[in-house]
Amino acid sequence: MPKQKLHPLPSAAFQILLSLAGEDLHGYGIMRQVADQTDGRIRLGPGTLYSSIQTLLEEKFIEEVDQREDPKLNHERRRYYRLTSAGRKLARSEAERLADLLRVARTKKILRGDYV
Amino acid sequence: MSEKIYALLLRLYPSRFRAEYGEEALQLFRDRARGERGFFLTLRLWLDLLADLAISVPSEYFHAHPSFIVSPVRQHLDGTPSFFLLENESPRLGALLFGSVLSLLAIATVSVLNGHGASYRPLGALVAQSHPNASRSSAVGRLAPQRAADSEQRILASRQPTTAANALIAGDAEPGSFRSSFLLMLRRFGPVKPQALQPRPQSVARAVVESAKLDRAERDRVIDGAIANLKQHYIHPDAAKKMADALLAHEKSGDDDAATDGEAFAALLTRQMRDVSPDMHLVVVYSQAPLPQGLTGPTPEDLARYREAMEHENCTFEKVKILPRNIGYLKLNSFPDPSVCRSTARTAMASLNHVDAIIFDLRDNRGGEPDMVALMAAYLFDHPEYWYNPRENTTQLSWTLSPIPGNRLADKPVYVLTSARTFSGAEQFCYDLKMLKRATLVGETTGGAAHSGVFHRIDDHFGMGIPETRPINPFSKTDWAETGVDPDVKVKAADALETALKLAQTKLSKN
Repeated sequence: MPKQKLHPLPSAAFQILLSLAGEDLHGYGIMRQVADQTDGRIRLGPGTLYSSIQTLLEEKFIEEVDQREDPKLNHERRRYYRLTSAGRKLARSEAERLADLLRVARTKKILRGDYV
Repeated sequence: MSEKIYALLLRLYPSRFRAEYGEEALQLFRDRARGERGFFLTLRLWLDLLADLAISVPSEYFHAHPSFIVSPVRQHLDGTPSFFLLENESPRLGALLFGSVLSLLAIATVSVLNGHGASYRPLGALVAQSHPNASRSSAVGRLAPQRAADSEQRILASRQPTTAANALIAGDAEPGSFRSSFLLMLRRFGPVKPQALQPRPQSVARAVVESAKLDRAERDRVIDGAIANLKQHYIHPDAAKKMADALLAHEKSGDDDAATDGEAFAALLTRQMRDVSPDMHLVVVYSQAPLPQGLTGPTPEDLARYREAMEHENCTFEKVKILPRNIGYLKLNSFPDPSVCRSTARTAMASLNHVDAIIFDLRDNRGGEPDMVALMAAYLFDHPEYWYNPRENTTQLSWTLSPIPGNRLADKPVYVLTSARTFSGAEQFCYDLKMLKRATLVGETTGGAAHSGVFHRIDDHFGMGIPETRPINPFSKTDWAETGVDPDVKVKAADALETALKLAQTKLSKN
């Protein structure tokens, strides 16, 4: 069932994978990173965020690293998440799928610009 | 505070999710709340959270229990209802309480919305809203009918305390009389139309002497006046000319000489006109007391007095109750002006909205405003129904304003109680419902007052009602003018309620 949940890959899950591509993050960090990388268009709510994290964990696309303090956030202990190699692969294939779509859009003159 | 609210909302998630990520979600909320201060940012935060809840809660349950996707067909086959469990654990006391509070809130919200949307109020609200004396409604009710029915007369009377109109009304205790009807009509129709024949200056004293015994000169004057009015106002000019010729012919041949009494002469002229044109709304009336000149419409004081009278008498809605077998009973003693009594009418009808049959008691109803008649009738149909009104031209106004939102009476059996005192607008209610086969009339033949003409003064003692509109009566050539409306079940007025109740009970037990 969870496989069905990630096929097609929901936008929130893809954004989480992308946010973890650079560094390990805790929940709030992921939320902020996603907001940054989408220019504030996507602000993941707690329900959506942890629901997606739960699924990605179950499918081993991300993993929980450890609990540590965030010096920027009152030194409270938080769970950090890391992208696994399977997760990176999934993110790449999704990005390629989108790039294919982009190419089609440009061929059809829906979108201007260079071929990716 | 807001954190507590969010913590409560988190309980909407499945327990497995809460156990695993409840604290994390709460922490995320704290982080965001710390970073997003100010009115707009806080508002945005809560909008985000609510949207998030709306999306993620169902999805969590859905994915946590894959079996929801496929319905358990096998379980349905044996006809036994089956239920899904969202949680495997038994609910906590707090969850039960939370659920109860939510349910109560939902019910309260729906009730409030219902009340605003369809003006529905429970029966108790009716008692509370009606005037403070409503609790002793039965006592008021016994006094109310006559007072209520006559309240319009009192308005006219009180405005002109010294006029002949007052004297006429005061002396007109007989309810079925034409004269009171016409005087009521003056109020409804506004100013008396310009007269074709201005009465010659006469002193009241002379007029009173003359009224005792008619001479030929007076008869000629009345006939001339009647002819002039007919020619000017009657809706069919050809018929008006024929009637005028007939009146003159009768006068010449001396047919009128025997009529030395005003009443008899008026009746004779009426008959002579109707022999030519059988129009029951055409009538000549005689008043022993001089008719007032230049009556105008009601003044603001009249309206204020009327409003006060209606408030005091609960708009003549004397009784609104639910009888055994869930049969609604509404005793209405007039059809008051909707601009004053619309909300009372709505409240009364809303309180009877859930009955299985309804009885309208119009035995003491002396008529009133056609708009109120149509308003009450609107509850009895689920689509606009042609509503014959002898006072109006046929326009879009001749349709009932059905359906009324939230109304459930449109398909319920209707019984209307009648008596010989059921009059005018009340007869319109009876006549139209009978013609539309929407009600069973129980009681006596009604009074027979249609008042569709406009009153024109001929002189101090004679006036006439002339129809000036062309109403379309789709049911029959005549209406209830003078003949009254015959009941479907003829019983004495006093026995009408008992009979109607039996009829209703029999009908309901068959269903």
